[in-house]
Amino acid sequence: MSTIKPGLSDYLLFNKYRAINLMNIGRMAAKHGPLDMHRDLKRYPWIWDLLEVNALLKRLVEGRSGNYRKAVAMVTGGVVEGVIELLEGIFYRSDRLILHEDLLPPEIFRAMGLQPWVPELLGILMPMLVPDTMQKYLDAAESEGIPPDICSLPRATIGMALKNVFPEALAIVSSNMPCDGGMSSYTIIARQMKKPAYWVDIPFDFKNERALDYFAGELKDMIAWLEKHTPGRMDWERLKEICEKRNTMAELELDIWDMIRHRPAPMAAEAIWMSHLWFFNINPGYDTSIKLFTDLKDLTQKNLEANVSAVPHEKYRALLWNPPTLHYIDLMVWAERTYGVSLILDSMSFNRQPFIDTATPDSILKSLGNIIMQGPMSRHTRGPAEANYFPDIFHMVKHFDLDMVWVAGHIGCKNTQAMSGVLREKCRDAGIPLLVIDYDLMDSRITPKEGIQEQVGNFMENIMKAKRLF
Amino acid sequence: MDTDKWFSKLLDEPLNELVQKSMDEGQIPIGYSCSYVPEVMLSVDGLFPVRMHATGIAGTEIADNYLSSVICSYTRSLLEFALDERYDFLRGWVFAASCDHLRRLYDNLEYLKRPGFSRILDVPHKTGDAAINWYTDELKLFAKALTDHFGVDLGADALAKAIREHNAFNAVLRKIGEYRSGDKPVMTGTEYHRLVIAAGTSPKKPLLPILKKIRNDLPKRDPLPPYRARLLLAGGHLDDPGYISIIESQGGLIVADRLCTGSYPGLLPIPETGDPIAALAKHYLTKTSCPRMMEAFRERAEDIVKLARECRADGVVIQILKFCDTWGVEAAAFVSCIREAGIPVLRLERDYRLGGEGQLRTRIQAFIESMGK
Repeated sequence: MSTIKPGLSDYLLFNKYRAINLMNIGRMAAKHGPLDMHRDLKRYPWIWDLLEVNALLKRLVEGRSGNYRKAVAMVTGGVVEGVIELLEGIFYRSDRLILHEDLLPPEIFRAMGLQPWVPELLGILMPMLVPDTMQKYLDAAESEGIPPDICSLPRATIGMALKNVFPEALAIVSSNMPCDGGMSSYTIIARQMKKPAYWVDIPFDFKNERALDYFAGELKDMIAWLEKHTPGRMDWERLKEICEKRNTMAELELDIWDMIRHRPAPMAAEAIWMSHLWFFNINPGYDTSIKLFTDLKDLTQKNLEANVSAVPHEKYRALLWNPPTLHYIDLMVWAERTYGVSLILDSMSFNRQPFIDTATPDSILKSLGNIIMQGPMSRHTRGPAEANYFPDIFHMVKHFDLDMVWVAGHIGCKNTQAMSGVLREKCRDAGIPLLVIDYDLMDSRITPKEGIQEQVGNFMENIMKAKRLF
Repeated sequence: MDTDKWFSKLLDEPLNELVQKSMDEGQIPIGYSCSYVPEVMLSVDGLFPVRMHATGIAGTEIADNYLSSVICSYTRSLLEFALDERYDFLRGWVFAASCDHLRRLYDNLEYLKRPGFSRILDVPHKTGDAAINWYTDELKLFAKALTDHFGVDLGADALAKAIREHNAFNAVLRKIGEYRSGDKPVMTGTEYHRLVIAAGTSPKKPLLPILKKIRNDLPKRDPLPPYRARLLLAGGHLDDPGYISIIESQGGLIVADRLCTGSYPGLLPIPETGDPIAALAKHYLTKTSCPRMMEAFRERAEDIVKLARECRADGVVIQILKFCDTWGVEAAAFVSCIREAGIPVLRLERDYRLGGEGQLRTRIQAFIESMGK
């Protein structure tokens, strides 16, 4: 497709990361032992899907070269290591395992010496690996009366709970984020798993001291509840250390974001969004996360200094609004090579990046609360849209010098669907081309990969007047 | 006067005869759309609340362009009516950030059509002390906004008086409701629901004497003709008595309800002692039993079972608006809880606009037959 072909070094790099992934997985299996591994493969059948990681790696590095290819491979490899750590948590630390909703701060659970597990994580990760793998869980939820119009992420998560494929946990912690479907799903999950559950409440109008105090109070109450229901105990020094390291990650990420403002962008797509999605949400404050962002920054810097575009022949710079198209995760690989589209940033990564004030336990909780409330998904589903939703989109377009907005119009995301009409008019007024991709986040039966390609192709050729690069 | 017809007419249009009359007398109508909005605060010093409805809506083509077709049809219908200038008589409206759909309706209205006074209340999802304190503060800010905009008195005395009047009004409605729940009901669920909805969508002052007369006349009525089953109707927003009428046409008498827009928990009295705003915050937060409140599933499920037993219902019908996430998910769990309690249950999904009558009749018939009635 693209005229740029990966060279020998690119080929070797792919094989190096493929070997590392295999080695890490093999080491985990060997450590666990054949009998226990066999038992857990039966107990957690989704582990089989996770073994498809090298197929994902292959799809994500396809046609990419140099530092960009390396960055994507590094991020994918980092995710593999992260997943292995989580699996080992299930295998060896089940006496400290808790389930928590994906937007709650893992920093707190880690500092309490607990082993967190995010039920939604599999729903996010697995369609990337095996595009149709969540369908059985979606169907299981529907069979139990869960309406098919509920967002497929909580619906699949409910399905997994109903099929009893989550690890046994001591307790469950959830919240009213990011949407009603997500919030309500935990009623079913807690009921199905018969575990004590605690819900954290995040205000709608969050940009004031009152909301910060309220939410920090909620986090305090959550800690007290966890101390009552689990062996976890808050270690404030440990939390401070984790948060300081998270601040370092945030500094590095901001440096990268500063560099990708440059046209052509020295880094793009998964190197930007997947790194944020995993390392800030699952592994914040880890030394390995700092190392990864340091390396990402170096690679970005090198490309910038050499004026190397991550995407060869970058012609269009895009913002992706909403979570990426999980069951067609290599959409950007295709769009890069077909039209020269560079995905600069996305709504799941962009945030106002507030740093954590680590002066006191109270200041830490307030800062963590602020990060959540000001963070992706939370910020864009509450507070008036006029104050958060549209300003963020238009700020990103301007700040990162973007040419168009792509909304991954996941049919189950009612928060986004209900804003598309106004967004269309506002983008038209501002002269910003807007593409809303009709599809479902993880159910390819709604819109298959080809349907997504067709929508993008129609937009690029008819609105952007783009020519195919091959 | 044919009371039934008169009440039906009140529901035909948001701007009904009583609303118009009150406006002519200088009263100010304020719209609201959710049970978490304390209508008592809109019943003071020249204001009166109008629960927003879009009865008789023919379609939501324009609203669908903005809200999309996967949003609850109640909110889409409100937007359609707003864009069709059917709420132009309202001097303001108050929403609650109670669900994604209403939040986004508010966002769209802020862009498309904003009245002089527009507010969204930040309602917590919990009912503990911190949440009640939060909502108390929220209502204080709301009171100040109303006072600043309309120059009305929302002081403690004015609110205490409004609470007393509200309780007295609801006591009349509750008493009327007893005549549909007894051993020999003299009133249908349809008729009762019509009164309850009219009470929410019309000014209360002119309605009260009429309701009192109905209450006084009811003991003189003959019992209803035989019916096949006593049913409890549960679920979210339902402001169309026609829906209940279809259920009752198949012999399933609605003897009690647990609806956002119904008699329970909506008509429960508000405490008349202490700080009125704190009392309102606690009441609306703890008594408005919506699945958007976290942590309280068990209480909600038990409440339905308890109510079904109290009114000796043969079965429970849960009706939910399609695309409602909170009711949609929770209803699945309600069904199993109610079945576990040994009570037959039927779950129905519907559009805000009354439709699919034949299908509804068939479902109700089958349900009643499955109960051996």
